[in-house]
Amino acid sequence: MKGRTVFLSLLAIVIAMVLILAPACSSKTTTSASTPQVLRANLGSEPDTLDPNQAAWAQDLTVIGQCFEGLLSFKTDGTLQPDIATVVPSTSNGGISSDGLTITFHLKNNVTWSDGTALTANDFVYSIKREVSPSLACPYASFYFNIVGAQAYYSSASDTSDQQAALAAAVGVSAPDNYTLVIKLVAPQETILDCMALWAVDPIRSDIVAKYGDNNWTAPPNYICDGPYILTTWTHQTELVLKPNPNYWGTKPKLQEIDFMEITDANAALAAYQNNQLDIVAVPEGDYKTYLNDSSYANQRLLVNQLATFALEFNCTQAPFDNALVRQAFACAVDRNAFITDVQAGVGKVTTGWIPPGMPGYDASAGSQYDFNPTKAKQLLAQAGYSDPSKLPAVTYTYANTTDQTTLAEFLQGQLQTNLGITVTLNPEETNTYQSNINAGDFQLSWFGWIADYPDPDDWLLSEFTTGGGVNQTHYSNPSFDALAKQAESDLDNTTRLSDWDKAQTMMLADAPIAPIYNSEGFSLVKPWVKGLDASTIDYSLPGDRFYDQVSIAAH
Amino acid sequence: MTRFVIRRVLWLLLVLLIISLVTFLLMHLVPGGPWARAKPLPPAVIAAIDAKYGLNKPLYVQYAKFLWGILHGDLGISYSYQDRSVTQIILQSFPKSAILGGTAFVLALIVGISFGMAAALKQNTWIDYVCVMFSTIFASVPAFVLGILLVIVFSVILHWLPSGGWGKPSDIILPAIALAALPAAYIARIARASTLETMRQDYVRTARSKGLKERVVLVRHILRNALIPVVTISGPEFAALITGSFIVESIFSIPGIGRLFVSSVFARDYGLIMGTTLFYAFIISIANLVVDILYAVIDPRIRYD
Repeated sequence: MKGRTVFLSLLAIVIAMVLILAPACSSKTTTSASTPQVLRANLGSEPDTLDPNQAAWAQDLTVIGQCFEGLLSFKTDGTLQPDIATVVPSTSNGGISSDGLTITFHLKNNVTWSDGTALTANDFVYSIKREVSPSLACPYASFYFNIVGAQAYYSSASDTSDQQAALAAAVGVSAPDNYTLVIKLVAPQETILDCMALWAVDPIRSDIVAKYGDNNWTAPPNYICDGPYILTTWTHQTELVLKPNPNYWGTKPKLQEIDFMEITDANAALAAYQNNQLDIVAVPEGDYKTYLNDSSYANQRLLVNQLATFALEFNCTQAPFDNALVRQAFACAVDRNAFITDVQAGVGKVTTGWIPPGMPGYDASAGSQYDFNPTKAKQLLAQAGYSDPSKLPAVTYTYANTTDQTTLAEFLQGQLQTNLGITVTLNPEETNTYQSNINAGDFQLSWFGWIADYPDPDDWLLSEFTTGGGVNQTHYSNPSFDALAKQAESDLDNTTRLSDWDKAQTMMLADAPIAPIYNSEGFSLVKPWVKGLDASTIDYSLPGDRFYDQVSIAAH
Repeated sequence: MTRFVIRRVLWLLLVLLIISLVTFLLMHLVPGGPWARAKPLPPAVIAAIDAKYGLNKPLYVQYAKFLWGILHGDLGISYSYQDRSVTQIILQSFPKSAILGGTAFVLALIVGISFGMAAALKQNTWIDYVCVMFSTIFASVPAFVLGILLVIVFSVILHWLPSGGWGKPSDIILPAIALAALPAAYIARIARASTLETMRQDYVRTARSKGLKERVVLVRHILRNALIPVVTISGPEFAALITGSFIVESIFSIPGIGRLFVSSVFARDYGLIMGTTLFYAFIISIANLVVDILYAVIDPRIRYD
């Protein structure tokens, strides 16, 4: 009696709770008269920092991109446009001096910060010096080492504060008046304007940073910015809410609120999208096929090309990959079309070249000698001295043990077995360990990917393939390549510069320290009521996140 | 009793010191580091960042600095969340895990004890079979399977409850159920076994033969004694629940400390790893101490000196 009563009353309580709470929590639909102009997207994880000088992760940039505007920015085709600057400096308008060593920016004089203060060139001077300051150790500081005195100042952490102050004063950025910014370079560099369009040199308010400290000024309401949106709430690990900047100098945005959720699990984000809690969501790779073939999502699918290339990576200092013929054989042995069709469900584009389509320097015929050809692959291997593949030294493929990378590893292993007769051992490692091992050169065969920092070949070839380059994981070393790269780096004639980079890319691909496989595509679902989304290759981390101020929400 | 508590607190401090040393050593022995990125940072930048955070100093210097900070109540800074200190991060995220864990704990206790006792009192009837089946099923189903099932049914298909997040009361329901299922199953089994044993004790038969109402026998005699084993596992269970579950917090996007604990290890966020590990150790030790004190309260036969 007692047991049964307890049991049944408990059941009744639970059912009652669900019935009472459920209708109160179901999602509402809006009328056409009252559609709130709110965009809800998933950032994926908590931003590391919202300080433009210190930011490096893509999700940090998505938020910073809404709140800050810099001198220049990119259009969707990768060319530059002026934001705070009046025009893009060039040799013809006098913005770039004839020797290429002095860049002059003229600023608009009607730009205001979110607290109403006028924005001046001093805010840029402060930001650039802070970016290369020794105490902050900013991750993108090296992009600005071509500014006079920048590298010396950055390396002065062990000097006295007087010495540091002197070095700071010697950095080649100055503001002769409130609306002019002058930058002095060590060597001419065509792409310095691309670097000036990055978030890392967005203007910063020196008085705000001085008042609240380097790490606390990014918390609302201290976070004073100059872009179309301001950060009104940041509930840590949960969401960030942005609202329009009341003192924005430009066209007021249509969207009245952006909610960036911080849902770390990709499947949980997908469930939230299906429950109408999100308007945009990235589709996890395992679900590509489902959502590509489901016709009920026909008007919600969004595929966006990315300026990203992924490639097989060889350690050129370890046998058997110290032999270029072996590397070339491996490059011919992977059926890239099968990868895109079978593993990626058609999402992504096959490539044999390194520089992706959609940016200057792209060469459609680059690497065509590595088109899939098992016969040629075996011939190359025989030329290298391994007509019997079993005589090849043991090959291990090292990778990070995420789901996507594991699928890829198994695919590559199968391809090399079928097409070359080589048994590759798989070596999965925990992600952080893997990254650290790769950077230390502790691998034979692995995977390499690059996503553009800015759309120009010198972001793709300099530090990746020059001898001793900061990101040269393959330990590739070719003096002719180094010479070409050095020449192209400081060439101000864009035509000869790009042709030099093209020659450099061809030279590198001939040596095959990497074997490009595909250019990635982002696959997202977007609710049909989101209008005006401009997704392109220059997105930070979410589709269209550079231009959310042009988005509006239709009635639904 | 007071001397007992004082001795235990002193042991607690020693345990925390040893744990901090072991964690610190393990943390630095594990390959990888906080600055390993898919897009590698140039070596000059890494050197500068290491210098900024003192990571280029010898290990004993770093450990000493950490201990010195602890003595001043400063758990250090986080490399993943640069605008907050570790203390702030823990203080902000722990209450959410605690609320969720506390709710799940209460739910598990209520469901587990009532099912377990009902099964024991009605042994070999359909109630008993249902309760044993319930406890077997939910002891075997992992929390993430149950969590995802709940999200699919109640959120994606029925649109009754939110699929995740934190802030509204309705956000607690699904994650609390997912978290509570396993502890409820264990508690039900233990409650059933111990109630069965208590029911057969002589003093219960004496109470019944005295003519006491069944309800009085149940509450005054059976319940208190049957609950001792339940209290034993409740302490660590409570500590485990309020410190958060990585899996449930990830599925339901709850900004709790469980997620932080695991993600900080993956990110090699040394400050946060030390802070959360010591915090966990502290909570578990306190929970065990409270359980030991509760024994003395529930069962007068137990005495400490």
